[in-house]
Amino acid sequence: MTKKEKKSFNQSLAEWKLFIYNPTTGEFLGRTAKSWGLILLFYLVFYGFLAALFSFTMWAMLQTLNDEVPKYRDQIPSPGLMVFPKPLTALEYSFTVSDPESYQGYIEDLRKFLKPYNLEEQKNLTACPDGALNEQKGPVYGACQFPLTLLQECSGVDDPEFGYSKGNPCVLVKMNRIIGLKPQGEPRIECTSKSENTAALSTYPPKGTIDLKYFPYYGKKLHVSYLQPLVAVQVSFNATSSTVNEVTVECKIDGSPNLKNQDDRDKFLGRVVFKVTARA
Amino acid sequence: MTKKTLEIYSVELSGTKDIQQTDKGNGKEKYRGLKNCFEPRKNHYKEELRKEVDLDDHKLSIKELEKKYDTNIITGLSSTQAAELLARNGPNALTPPKETPEIIKFLKQMVGGFSILLWIGAILCWIAYGIQYSMNTSSSLDNVYLGCVLALVVILTGIFAYYQEAKSTNIMATFNKMIPQQALVIRDSEKMTIPAEELVVGDIVEIRGGDRIPADIRLLSVQGCKVDNSSLTGESEPQPRSSEFTHDSPLETKNIGFYSTTCLEGTATGMVINTGDRTIIGQIASLASGVGNEKTPIAIEIQHFVHIVAGVAVSIGILFFIIAVSLKYQVLDSIIFLIGIIVANVPEGLLATVTVTLSLTAKRMAKKNCLVKNLEAVETLGSTSIICSDKTGTLTQNRMTVAHLWFDNQIFIADTSEDHSNQVFDQSSGTWASLSKIITLCNRAEFSPGQESVPIMKRVVVGDASETALLKFSEVILGDVMEIRKRNHKVAEIPFNSTNKFQLSIHKTDDPNDQRFLLVMKGAPERILEKCSTIMVNGQKQPLDKNTAEAFHTAYMELGGLGERVLGFCHLYLPADEFPETYTFDVDTMNFPTSNLCFVGLLSMIDPPRSTVPDAVTKCRSAGIKVIMVTGDHPITAKAIAKSVGIISANSETVEDIAKRLHIAVEQVNKRDAKAAVVTGMELKDMSPEQLDELLTNYSEIVFARTSPQQKLIIVEGCQRQNAVVAVTGDGVNDSPALKKADIGIAMGIAGSDAAKNAADMILLDDNFASIVTGVEEGRLIFDNLKKTIAYTLTKNIAELCPFLIYIIVGLPLPIGTITILFIDLGTDIIPSIALAYEKAESDIMNRKPRHKKKDRLVNQQLAIYSYLHIGLMQAVGAFVAYFTVYAQEGFKPSILINIRVEWEDSNVNDLEDSYGQQWTWYQRKYLEWMGYTAFFVGIMVQQIADLIIRKTRRNSIFQQGLFRPQYWFVAVPFAILIWVYDEVRKLFIRLYPGSWWDKNMYY
Repeated sequence: MTKKEKKSFNQSLAEWKLFIYNPTTGEFLGRTAKSWGLILLFYLVFYGFLAALFSFTMWAMLQTLNDEVPKYRDQIPSPGLMVFPKPLTALEYSFTVSDPESYQGYIEDLRKFLKPYNLEEQKNLTACPDGALNEQKGPVYGACQFPLTLLQECSGVDDPEFGYSKGNPCVLVKMNRIIGLKPQGEPRIECTSKSENTAALSTYPPKGTIDLKYFPYYGKKLHVSYLQPLVAVQVSFNATSSTVNEVTVECKIDGSPNLKNQDDRDKFLGRVVFKVTARA
Repeated sequence: MTKKTLEIYSVELSGTKDIQQTDKGNGKEKYRGLKNCFEPRKNHYKEELRKEVDLDDHKLSIKELEKKYDTNIITGLSSTQAAELLARNGPNALTPPKETPEIIKFLKQMVGGFSILLWIGAILCWIAYGIQYSMNTSSSLDNVYLGCVLALVVILTGIFAYYQEAKSTNIMATFNKMIPQQALVIRDSEKMTIPAEELVVGDIVEIRGGDRIPADIRLLSVQGCKVDNSSLTGESEPQPRSSEFTHDSPLETKNIGFYSTTCLEGTATGMVINTGDRTIIGQIASLASGVGNEKTPIAIEIQHFVHIVAGVAVSIGILFFIIAVSLKYQVLDSIIFLIGIIVANVPEGLLATVTVTLSLTAKRMAKKNCLVKNLEAVETLGSTSIICSDKTGTLTQNRMTVAHLWFDNQIFIADTSEDHSNQVFDQSSGTWASLSKIITLCNRAEFSPGQESVPIMKRVVVGDASETALLKFSEVILGDVMEIRKRNHKVAEIPFNSTNKFQLSIHKTDDPNDQRFLLVMKGAPERILEKCSTIMVNGQKQPLDKNTAEAFHTAYMELGGLGERVLGFCHLYLPADEFPETYTFDVDTMNFPTSNLCFVGLLSMIDPPRSTVPDAVTKCRSAGIKVIMVTGDHPITAKAIAKSVGIISANSETVEDIAKRLHIAVEQVNKRDAKAAVVTGMELKDMSPEQLDELLTNYSEIVFARTSPQQKLIIVEGCQRQNAVVAVTGDGVNDSPALKKADIGIAMGIAGSDAAKNAADMILLDDNFASIVTGVEEGRLIFDNLKKTIAYTLTKNIAELCPFLIYIIVGLPLPIGTITILFIDLGTDIIPSIALAYEKAESDIMNRKPRHKKKDRLVNQQLAIYSYLHIGLMQAVGAFVAYFTVYAQEGFKPSILINIRVEWEDSNVNDLEDSYGQQWTWYQRKYLEWMGYTAFFVGIMVQQIADLIIRKTRRNSIFQQGLFRPQYWFVAVPFAILIWVYDEVRKLFIRLYPGSWWDKNMYY
C-alpha cells in the first residue's frame, strides 16, 4: 500500500549507525572527512572574519568616545534621589532596638560609606567658599571638602551607632551624580513624614541644604576625590512606649528650579520615599 | 439463475453496498474479493471502485425481469406497490456529497499546519506568565500580550483563509443549477408524468430524444434510440441502444440505459432496475467520498518547515536551559528563558504572509481561468509532474468538425480551427459543386432561429453532431444554407437509421431549366459505394472501375486511420421522363432507384483539438511534465488526437507502429524502441500493478483509450506510485474518485458535473487545457517566491533570538524586548515579505523539471543554515554594534555592561553608576534600555532592507533581475527639503509673532 510501513527498531538503528559512520563512503555524520574539513574551514574563516569585523567596528566606535565625559547626557537631565544604607528589600528599614544584630548591617554600611568623609581623608581637598558653583577649567580638578560634622548627630562621631540603638535611626539622602549639572537657586532636601505626629524628622545639615560648591561634577576620571554632598535624616519617634513604630518618609529636592522633583513615571527623580520600622 | 440474482439484489437492497459479496465474475475477481477480506476496511472502498460494475439484468429476458421486479411491462406497477417501494428504497436521487460543516472548515483553518506552531507559542507564553505571576505578582504583562497577539494572528489569518475559500466555493455554487426532472411512467396501466425522484425499481418508463435518463433502466423496446454516455464512460460518440443483450459487460451492452446520461434521439421504453445511489453513477459518486484526500505538497512542505523550526527552537531552548541552570539561575527563571527562546523562534508573521501570498496567486490564477478551491492547491499545480487529461472538451473543442474531404481522387484538408475562417482547398472543381449540394441538402440539422448575429461556429443547432458539423461547414463556405434548401424544395426523405446506414432525400433543383429531381444520399462509405456504379471526377461522370474503387478504399482507410468519422456522398439526377414533376415519391415502397448512383466524394470529421493545446502540451513537455491522455474513446481516434496535439510527438512510435513499419509481429518488437504507447481499457484490466508501473516508467508518451472511469483511478494510483505529483482533469460524475485521489483534481467549469466540481481542488473555468499550463507556471513561481519569503522572514529570527541568549549568558541589559520583536515580525516585515510574492521568475521556470517531492523542499537545510547562521548572525552582530554604541555614548561602556543585569533590573537600585561616575535611577535606565531596543530594532530593520534586496534572487545577480533605479529615489528630494524648510519657517513665525494672524491660522 502507499502508506509508509513503520520501520522496525533494528532497521532504524542500522540506519542511524550508517548515518554516524558509513564505511563504504567513509561518511561520518553524513559528510566525508574532506567535506567536514571544508565546512569547518569555511566556518572558521567566515566567523573569524565576522568576529574581526565586530571587533573592529566596536573598536572604531569606542575611539569616538571621550574618556572623561560621555558623548550624550540627554537621558539624565535631572538627578535622582537615593537613600543610604540600602535595605535588602525595597526601601524599608526595619530593625529591633533591643537587638543590635538587626541593625548591624546598616551601621557597617554607613561607616564604610562615610570613611572618605573623615577629616584626615579630606586634608588634601579644597575648602571652597559656600553658596557658589565651583566651576573649574582644569586640567586638574579639585574637590571641595565636606566636613563630616555637618551631619551632626548622624555623623557617627558622637554616636557610632547612628541613632539605631536609641530607636532614632539616621538615613543618608544623596543626590545622584550627574556630570556638569549646575543646580540653580538654593537646593535643599526637604523631608516630610507621611503619617503625621508619629515621628519627628531632623535633617542635617540644618534645613537639608546642599551647597552649590559641590557642583558641577566633572566625572570619575577628572574629579578623582570628589565628595558627594550628603543630607542626613534622623527619625525620632514620638511615642517611645509603643512596641512597633512605623513611619513613611518622603524626601524631595526643593529650592532649585532646574532640579525636578515630580515625575509620574520616575518615582526617584528628585525624590525618594522610604519606610522606617523600629521595634522596641 | 433468477433465484440467484434475487439473492444478489436482496443484498444490495438491504443497504450495504458490499458488491464484494455479489462478486461472481471470473477467478481473478474472486481472488480480489478474497484478498479484500484480509485487508483493512480502509482499502475496501478502493477495491470496490476498481472493480467493474456488477449487474445482471441485461442478461435476463423480459419475462424473468417481470418476475424479478414483480411488475408488468404493459400495466406497470400499481401505485400502492410503487409507494411501498419508494418508502423502502428512498427517493430516486443521488445523496448529495456530505458537506463539511462550515464550523469544521473554519476550525480546520485555525489549527492546520502552521497555526499549530503559533498556538503552542501562545500557550507557552501564558504558561510563562503564570510562572512569573506565581513568583512575583507585579511581573510584566509582556508574555500575556505576546500570547494574545499570537492567538490573534492565528485567528485573523484563519478568518482570512476561510473567507478566501468560501468565496471560491460561492463562485462554484452559482454553477449548481439543477432543474427538477420529470419522468413519463406507466403505473396502474396509465401513462403519467411524475417527478423523477419518485421512480422506483420496476417502474416502466418511456424516454424520448432530449430526455435525461431518469434511472438505470433495462430497455424493453427501442426506436432509433441513441444515448450520450460520455459522462459515464467518456465515449464522446452517441451510442445506439437496442433491446437485445449484446455484451457481457453491463457498460457495453446495448440494452441498458444509465441514470444521468442523455437520450439524444429516438424513443425507448424501459424498466427501472436501479434507483438513486444504487445506480451505476450513484455508486461511483458515493464511493468518491471513500477516497481519502491526499495531503497537498505545500501542506507537507509546511509541516516539514514547522518540524525544522520546532527542532531548532527546542534544541536551542534546552541548550540554554542547561546553560542557565549551570549559571546558577533559578530553575523557574530558566524555564521562563526556555519558553522565551522557543517562542522567539516562532515566526509570527509567516502564517499571515504565506496565506496572503497564496491567495494573491489564487486570485491571479482565477483571472487566468483557474479557480482554486483550496488555497494550498495553488502550489500543487506547480509541482505537478504528470497530468492525466481527458480528451473530449479539454484537449478538443468537443464538437465534430469537418477535417478532410476526398474527391477527384485527392484528399483535401479543411480548416479545423475554432472559427473555420480559412478554407483553402480547391473549390473550383465541378465535383465540389455537386458535393457541396449533397452536403447542404442531405442534412436535417437546422440552426435554431434568431442567431443571425452569432458567429456561425457558435450558433446552436438542432441535430446530431455530424449533421451539425456538415451544416456549419457548408454555411461557412456556401453562405445561407437554409435559403439554398428553400430553393431546392425537398419532396421526400429517408432519415438515417442503423439498419440502412444511409440518409436520403429527393429535391426539386433550383435550376429552372432542369426539371429533373435530384436524389442525394450520404452514409457509411462502403454502403454508399455499393449503391454506385459511376463516380464523378472533375465534374464528369465516369464508370466506377477497379482502380477508382481502389483509390476510394485507400482514401477511406487513410482517413479512418486518422481516427476520423468518414461519410460517403452520392447523388443521382432522376430522368425527367420517368419522374415527371408531378411524381409522388413514397419512402415506404421506395418507388425510386437507390442503386447505380453516382459517387461524389468522402468527407471525414473529427472533434478537433483546441488550437491552443499543442502549444500547451509542448510547454508541459519542456517543463518536464508528462501528459497522459485518458479517454473513453476509440484508440485510433485517441491516438490521432494525441498525435495532433503532441502528446505523442511526431517522431515517436508505438510498438504497433514499429511492427507495422518493419512488417513483423507485435511480439517481436523490442519494447525499448517504442517511446509511445496506446493502451486500451481491456489491456489495462489484465495488467498487474507492477506491469502498470513498468508501463508508466518505460514510456514517456502514453494514451489510455477505451478506459472506464474506474480505471482512471488505477492510472492515478499507478502514477502516484512513481512518486509523481499527479494532476487529473475530469468532468463526469465518474471522474470524481480519480479527482479526489489525484494530488490536484481539476474539474471542468463548463462541462463538469457537480460531483466532479465537489471532488476537485481546482476548476478550469474555460475547460481549456492551456489554462492548466498557465496555472503550472503560477504554481512554480509561488513555490520559488515562498522560498524567498521564508528565507527573508527566518533571517531576522536569529537577530531577534541572539539578544536574549546573550542577555541570559553575559547579563547585558536586554537588547530588544518582546513587543519590539512583534513590531518587526507583524509590522515592518509583513509587507516586504508579501512583496516577494510578486517577484518575477529568475529564469524560465517552464524550462525546468518539476520539483522532486522528496528532494526539492520548500525549506531545506541550506536555506535554514544560510538564513540562520550566515545572514542572521551578521544581522545580529550589526544590531549589537548599534546597541553597544547607544549605551557607550550615553555613559555605559561595553565592559561595565557585563553582568550588570541583576542590578540594572532592580527597581530599588536608583543610583547605579555608569562608566563616568554618573548615577542613574531605575526609570532613567529603563528609558535607556528602550533606546537600546530602538537601536537594535533599527539595526535589524536596516539590515532587513539589504536582506530583502538579496532575497529577490537566488542565483541571478540583483542587477540582472532589475531593481528600482536608485536615481528615482532622489527625484522628490527637493520637495522633501521644501516641506522641511517651509515648516521651519512656519514655526519660526509662530514663535516670533505669538498671537498674530499667522499664529492663529498655522499653529495646530
